[in-house]
Amino acid sequence: MTANRRSRRDFLRQAVATGAGVGALSTGLTPFMAMPVWAKDEPPIGTWPAGSQGSSVFIGISVPRTGTYAVQGEDELKGYQLAIEHINSGHDLIKKISPKTTKGVLGKELKFGVADSAAKPNDAVQAQQRFITENKAVMITGGTSSAVAVALNKLAQREKVLFVCGISGSNDTTGKDCVRYGFRQNFFGQTAAAAIAPVLVKQFGKNKKVAYMTPDYTYGHTVTKSMQDMTKGDGWTTVTNQVSPLGAPDFSSYLLNIANSGADLLINVNWGHDAVLSIQQAKQFGVLDKMKLVVPYQVPFLARETGGLMQGVYAATDYWWTIEDKYPLAKMFNAEFEKKYNYKPEWGAENAYVSFAHWARMVEEAGTFYPPTVIKTYEKGETIPSLVGDVHYRPEDHQCVRPVIIVKGKMQKDMKGKEDYYDIVEIVPGEGLMQKPDAFGCKLGDYT
Amino acid sequence: MPSSRRYLAELLTALGLLIAPFVLPHLGLAPNTANRILVWGLFGIGFDILFGYTGLLSFGQAAFYGTGGMVAAYLLTRAGFPSVWGALAIGMVSAAVVGWLVGLIALRRTGIYFAMITVAIGEVFYFVEFNPLADWTGGENGLPGVPTPSLYLGFTTLHFTTGWALYPFLAACYFIGIVIALRIVRSPVGAILSAIRENPLRAAAIGHNIHGYKLTAFVIAAAYAGLAGGLLGILQAFMPPEAFIFDTSGQLVMQTAIGGPGTLFGPLLGAAVWLSLQDFLQAALGLGSAWKLVLGVVFVLLVCFLRHGLVGGIKDLWRLAVHRRQAEVEAPEEATPIEAAAASMPAREREGDIKTGTILEAKGLTKRYGGLVANSDIDFTVRAGELRGIIGPNGAGKSTFFKMLTCEVPPSGGTIMFEGQDITGKGVTEVCQLGLTKSYQVNQLFTRLTVRQNLTIAALADLRGRFRLDLFRSVEKIPGLHDRVQHTLGLIGLTARADTPVSALAYGEKRRLEIGLALATSPSLLLLDEPLAGMSPRERVETVQLLKSIARGRTMIVIDHDMDSLFELVEWITVLQEGRVLTEGTPDQIKSDPAVREAYLGGVHA
Amino acid sequence: MFTWANFFSQVFNGLALGALLALISSGLTIIYGTLGVLNLAHGAMFMMGGYAGYVVYDATGSFTLAVAGGALFMLVVGVVMERLVIRYFYQRPHEDQLLVTFGISIVMVEVVRLIFTSLSKTVPPPALLSGITSLGITFYPTYRIAVVAIVAVALLALYFLLYRTKLGMIVRAGIEDSEMVDSLGIDVYRVFMIVFGIGSMAAGFAGIVNAPVVSLTPDVGEAILVQTFVVVVIGGVGSFPGAVLGGLIAGEIVSITSMINPAYAYVMLFAAMTLVLVLRPYGLLGARGRE
Repeated sequence: MTANRRSRRDFLRQAVATGAGVGALSTGLTPFMAMPVWAKDEPPIGTWPAGSQGSSVFIGISVPRTGTYAVQGEDELKGYQLAIEHINSGHDLIKKISPKTTKGVLGKELKFGVADSAAKPNDAVQAQQRFITENKAVMITGGTSSAVAVALNKLAQREKVLFVCGISGSNDTTGKDCVRYGFRQNFFGQTAAAAIAPVLVKQFGKNKKVAYMTPDYTYGHTVTKSMQDMTKGDGWTTVTNQVSPLGAPDFSSYLLNIANSGADLLINVNWGHDAVLSIQQAKQFGVLDKMKLVVPYQVPFLARETGGLMQGVYAATDYWWTIEDKYPLAKMFNAEFEKKYNYKPEWGAENAYVSFAHWARMVEEAGTFYPPTVIKTYEKGETIPSLVGDVHYRPEDHQCVRPVIIVKGKMQKDMKGKEDYYDIVEIVPGEGLMQKPDAFGCKLGDYT
Repeated sequence: MPSSRRYLAELLTALGLLIAPFVLPHLGLAPNTANRILVWGLFGIGFDILFGYTGLLSFGQAAFYGTGGMVAAYLLTRAGFPSVWGALAIGMVSAAVVGWLVGLIALRRTGIYFAMITVAIGEVFYFVEFNPLADWTGGENGLPGVPTPSLYLGFTTLHFTTGWALYPFLAACYFIGIVIALRIVRSPVGAILSAIRENPLRAAAIGHNIHGYKLTAFVIAAAYAGLAGGLLGILQAFMPPEAFIFDTSGQLVMQTAIGGPGTLFGPLLGAAVWLSLQDFLQAALGLGSAWKLVLGVVFVLLVCFLRHGLVGGIKDLWRLAVHRRQAEVEAPEEATPIEAAAASMPAREREGDIKTGTILEAKGLTKRYGGLVANSDIDFTVRAGELRGIIGPNGAGKSTFFKMLTCEVPPSGGTIMFEGQDITGKGVTEVCQLGLTKSYQVNQLFTRLTVRQNLTIAALADLRGRFRLDLFRSVEKIPGLHDRVQHTLGLIGLTARADTPVSALAYGEKRRLEIGLALATSPSLLLLDEPLAGMSPRERVETVQLLKSIARGRTMIVIDHDMDSLFELVEWITVLQEGRVLTEGTPDQIKSDPAVREAYLGGVHA
Repeated sequence: MFTWANFFSQVFNGLALGALLALISSGLTIIYGTLGVLNLAHGAMFMMGGYAGYVVYDATGSFTLAVAGGALFMLVVGVVMERLVIRYFYQRPHEDQLLVTFGISIVMVEVVRLIFTSLSKTVPPPALLSGITSLGITFYPTYRIAVVAIVAVALLALYFLLYRTKLGMIVRAGIEDSEMVDSLGIDVYRVFMIVFGIGSMAAGFAGIVNAPVVSLTPDVGEAILVQTFVVVVIGGVGSFPGAVLGGLIAGEIVSITSMINPAYAYVMLFAAMTLVLVLRPYGLLGARGRE
């Protein structure tokens, strides 16, 4: 350590000793006092305790507000904002997920800063670094692009600040690129494929020829691979895999190759605007008339933006609002979201909200912002509520084990309202979908 | 230059870097931003040498930034290389090597073609690192987990981690980078790079291998870029693929233009402006993504009105403030007169120098431009020590003939022998090094440089040969340079104007400098293309005196239209007409030759 | 992925792409040829033309009006840009010209981003031209076929302008030697202004015509710019026929490479450009002269 850190540590020890006594211990003795909560005699780590000494704590959020994933990023942001609002006000819905919450987290108001990541890891890292060093963020979040998620994973581990991942579909995020300081709530390539493959085989039969459209980065490659692995056993073969760059403006070359490939199904792993464009162009090139489309990793707003092309299309998703019939918390969430934003939430917002709520719960349970304690609380693997029933976080890789929802696009004539895009086909429980903990090479790092 | 002035820049930089961490936080600048500014500044030093000093505008520097960064990051993350310093060095060297290879292709063209090629190269590198090489570069994930450096000092180890803790390491790198760069621009190579920017044609014609120097500048820029890329990986703990994108190259160009090209510190200033404005506009004014628009507008305005960027603007303000009393230095109407001719400057002794006998022999020299025959079957012989004149009506092909002699233009037919050597088809640079050079009809000077600098560059070619990589030598320490320059100044009568920029010279003075440039390379055979063009009668007289004095110990061929002056100067005259030799003779013979009169006047007399 | 069906579809696809590139590159090349200015804002102009057309479409619902609107708007933008900025740069070094057009391109992109946000905008093709046509071996979107036809007409119009009118003759003379044209007493600066406007209009026209194919985002111009460079280098700077030829060749290179591996399509373009630079430095149809 440099001389700097040492003298700071000494100073803090003094402060603790002469300071205002011991803070409330974790089981909520005096939650109304905005007192700094000290884990006894721990050296400072990351932004602790500096970031949580005041009456508020700072959250760094980076989402794409421009670029290919802008629409989904804005939606994710809304989820975060709603969660923060609810946590700060001690809303009932939050209390259902994090019962110890009263107002704020450990009594501290949540403040946040938003930066545009443009789905570029570089921009996200720069912004979050700023949030950490200047605003002393106690937690950073955001994603939408798995590349960003992986980069922020590493940043979090280096800076010793918790990273609650936003949307990220790649297996690598809690696979080979997992970190002790990172946590992911949503479904991902492996679970999506494991959930949807049986449904597809049942629907379309065995021994089918498949054309894949894959965006050229970690998310795309891992999802395509998972799909291939899950359908191999039923004799499904890949006749072509058209890999396109993120943000490709024109899919004509790829689609012509696909149109002439003789495939029975088109599995389109593209996401965000790429998904919209590639599906629209697939229609134009007559591909959708030749083969069936499947979207193994559903995209928020895809049905709306492709204007009817999702009819009859199977997809796997984290959340669809019509499950509210089964899950009262979902119903509450839908109502609150719609009240604030005038449309029914998609899974990006849901993921943002829930992962935030879970984090708030973990911190409340831990009784401190001290990162290693919070991490260990997650790693207890307790069953906790979510908007899709009970879930838990797996200690080996910090992945939330949660159900995957298979949906099928409704025919226009069957839609009961303008947002009633999908039928729920099946809600597949998460446990059976997960890979073995070390299957993807996850090695969590150190606590400190 | 007194030594205190000489190292002023280095001292100020060191000072600035030392006090920055104490001053900047009060200005609202985060440590991270300061660190980024340093990295961009370092990236920009190399680019400034390439663009500001050599005049090569590359929009593809990101290729080397990314290469250096990826190599260093790969070594440190996936390959388990132990030393951060070592990895940085290897990254830098790799980038330099790659820069060399790329430069071999890119530098075949200049101007906009060069710019377009660099754009394309940048894109290719981005693609390659993204796709085929994704296993090494992490594809679009980049390479996360880059460690920070530590310095083991025996009694303690310094860990440079993040924020202000990392600052000293980056500041040290930047300081070393600046010191080296300052040495380079003060070296002969630096002077030649400036010459290439000002007038590449003339730089080559006075004997410099400009391609070699351009490649040197390109490699230097790539090396700096590679080091900066490695530092980026350390700064972010993550090496992003964005280091390769066109935006990165574009941002570098803009920052340098904003700060001021050709100053070495411009990129640092530009980066400071760019990054702090970015922060300020986004955070304080809540402009969101509109910050780039504001920066774009600022950039356009700067390019339009502040041609030398902010540093240039500051310099101008300084000059305005300090020299307010002095009147604007205007180019005078009349040139200062030449003092009594100094002792003549002998031609340099070269191997194969011929003192007597034929020094130049052209046989059957022909030049065709498509259907037009500019020179046809010219035989032309000059003896060593001779003073030859060439005259002829307009369109006779005199200038074309000279161009062939200096090998600026290859002949369509025929041969040229110089000092017994066949020089047909050689290049202008090589021929100049052999001792044959020309002063131009239209001034080809290095306009933004001073008279002294112009002559220095010419002399350097002679004293150092076509190409030498003495990057760290100081120009002043070249033996014989000072004397040569002073001597030439004396000869052409510009000693009093030695430190005036060429743009401020009177026309006559420029013509004298034009001759001086050729002289400074100490040619054995000096060609003068219309040296008296545009001069006043008094200037003509003086120039003729000058030419007579420099003719001693040297062979000269002069083209001119001023018959009177020419007849006074030379011993033997060749007359060209319509691309052919019409006749030859002494001045008296030519004066009275009816064929010559007819050629000029079109046969008025019967 | 080679089948004859695929091959012919890709060749046709290349024609569509190539026609578009040809049009855009013609604009760039005549500007450079005549004014000596490499317009780095050309891609941004392509993008702005698309957005201008979108605005007209939004207001009127007519695709034809949108195309006309987009093209005319860019004609005005080009003229204004030349009058306000470019004309002061003719005497300045090439680098300054590159810098200022580069800066203007950034400003253009960001202004559009500010007004329209980064979410993509779609302009649907006219009802008459939407849908799929069977080309025998393959199905192809009708509109893309129409694009080839539309662009061909535009190129013909440009050809007519350059080779059959007095103005065109002056422009072509100016490409060869603008000083000479000036000495002949012709107002070169007026010619420059018109040429810049026409080049800008060509880019803008291409932008709106292409909008139904790839949808509009503020960043759509950047990729186009780089491809345009490649086309201009391959075809020969300053040569209109070179731009057309170069465009078609580029389009075919991209599509035929896509048949094998789409990821390498654009890299092949750059490889082709490098090859041309090495073998025929002035491009296939270019002439020695401007550097």
